[in-house]
Amino acid sequence: MTTNGMLIFLMGFLFLFLGYLGVPVAFALIAGVLAVTVFTPVSLPSIMAQLFNGIDVEALLAVPFFLLVGELMTSANVTVRMITLSQTMIGHVRGGLAQVVTLFSMFFAGISGSSAADVAVLSRTLGPEMKREGYGLGFTAALIASASTMANLIPPSIMAVVYGATGNVSIGGLFLGGVVPGVLVGIGLMIYSHFFGPVGIKRQRSSFGQFTQATKNAAVPLMIPIIIMGGILTGFFTPTEAGVVAVVYILLVAIPCLNRGHIRSLPHDMALTGLLYSIPLITIAAASAFGWMLAYLRGPAVVSGWIAGAAGNDPFMIMLLLVLLFVVVGDFIDAIPAIIIFMPIIAELTQTADIKPVHMGVVIILTLAFGLITPPYGLALLMASKFIGVRFSTAMIASLPIYVVFFGAIAFCIFFPDVVLWLPKHVLPESVGCFKNPGGAGYICP
Amino acid sequence: MQAQRHLKWRALDGLERVLMVLCAIAITGFTVTVVCDIATRTIGRPWLWLQEVTMTFFIYGVFIGTAAATRRNDHLYLAVLAESLTGRKRLAFETFNRLVVLVVALCMIYYGYLNFLDGFRSLRMPSMTPLSSLYAAIPLCGILVALFTIEQLVNGWRHGFAEPTGEPGASHGGPGSYPL
Repeated sequence: MTTNGMLIFLMGFLFLFLGYLGVPVAFALIAGVLAVTVFTPVSLPSIMAQLFNGIDVEALLAVPFFLLVGELMTSANVTVRMITLSQTMIGHVRGGLAQVVTLFSMFFAGISGSSAADVAVLSRTLGPEMKREGYGLGFTAALIASASTMANLIPPSIMAVVYGATGNVSIGGLFLGGVVPGVLVGIGLMIYSHFFGPVGIKRQRSSFGQFTQATKNAAVPLMIPIIIMGGILTGFFTPTEAGVVAVVYILLVAIPCLNRGHIRSLPHDMALTGLLYSIPLITIAAASAFGWMLAYLRGPAVVSGWIAGAAGNDPFMIMLLLVLLFVVVGDFIDAIPAIIIFMPIIAELTQTADIKPVHMGVVIILTLAFGLITPPYGLALLMASKFIGVRFSTAMIASLPIYVVFFGAIAFCIFFPDVVLWLPKHVLPESVGCFKNPGGAGYICP
Repeated sequence: MQAQRHLKWRALDGLERVLMVLCAIAITGFTVTVVCDIATRTIGRPWLWLQEVTMTFFIYGVFIGTAAATRRNDHLYLAVLAESLTGRKRLAFETFNRLVVLVVALCMIYYGYLNFLDGFRSLRMPSMTPLSSLYAAIPLCGILVALFTIEQLVNGWRHGFAEPTGEPGASHGGPGSYPL
């Protein structure tokens, strides 16, 4: 093994060793980088500058805004209206509550960009009700965790923001590209719950009047996805600005209209979100320094060389190998540091195989979202099992059949790029490499 | 504030409160500046310095929040192996983990300070403020993290790291943790 190879191994080993011993991820990453830096000509103060550079990115401002949107909606109890709407739409079918979990997650994914908020809301609201109706605790935790992964796919998605910001890929394109896999996972979970999940209690179909009333009640929160995506797609807002406009809408319209009493709690919400956003962002800063050192040691060139050597220039094969890599990586590392650390490898392979960056981004994000429910580091499943009160191993066993849904969605996204890219191509053509026709109207897409 | 009370000194509760208030100020600050940025751009008279102010709030918010999260044990973890242990083994694991954090914090203070000095050679545009004004957040964060880690180490050795039975609050991995 070359010196660089040994240093990469040492850095990775230290990170995983310290991380699994219980050192916070950000500090484990920094410790790994600092230890290796001593053996290189790189100065230690410049590593501190890398920490700073990792978060000195305007696009990352969207992360706190999307977290704030989720936090405000949850703490102001506005999300209950969306749950009621989901119940009137689909609560009467077989496994009604399980279907409601999935449908609500699809709605909520359009508001919050984080699985954690989704898991917290569902575990608190529908979790106890599912228990009363006789759904197994393992199934409940597995379904809630799996459904929450859609928050990373259906826009706005924090993973897409981080991927776009670090990989210089259109965030709007990634948002739109995430719609197809998000809906695929949602439909897959609904089919699974219908045919293989518990029956639950049979409910009466809601009347049209009840549905209309529930839609009316949920209209204010349902405007948020329209504001966010509308602003981005019309080109009026960047994703960051769309996030802040959504926050302003909630503060000035949603909360005063729907839960005026919550205004007193806003300082608490702001303080909590101020704390919450720093946690992923310091991890991003540390992962950036880690990724920078990895690139300095020519790690990406070596790994992408291995993958390109095995797959040649075949884009499907390269994507399959990358998915395999990220399934393993996602089992051990959180998605955000994984994206940043491995971005140089992804970028190099995307170029080598001439894959559209948005297509590659969607596949990687979907794979990492799947990592949220796989052991040993399935964060969404860990949280859901903790909130529902069931052993992680029980929830994991219950989630095994659901893996098929994710494998299906990943395979679909790899082999049908035209379907995945259809929406970005028609709404944001430039995001997928199309350019304005110099000789007339429309776009030319290579 | 009550979570892991046995690892905290009451004297530092005020500091944690101040940090939480600063977190709220930071997020409110950059929310307001981004709104102003959109508004001034829409009316055709953009204030160019707003982006600098936004990033200042944002970056200080990250590092202040990191320090507060250290005291509240709210960081992102890969595993919480030590929590399943008891007695001397747990003491050894928890001590080792915190010593690692302490070493990293000390590096953030010393090398962060050197980087801060280096930052005087670069300027932020358009205000021409030295980049050190932002780099200062790193050693500042290091000082706070070191302080809170020493607090946890000392109290952990005195009272044990395990949560006393019946004490309110949760250790890491609870609802306070916020994985993405």
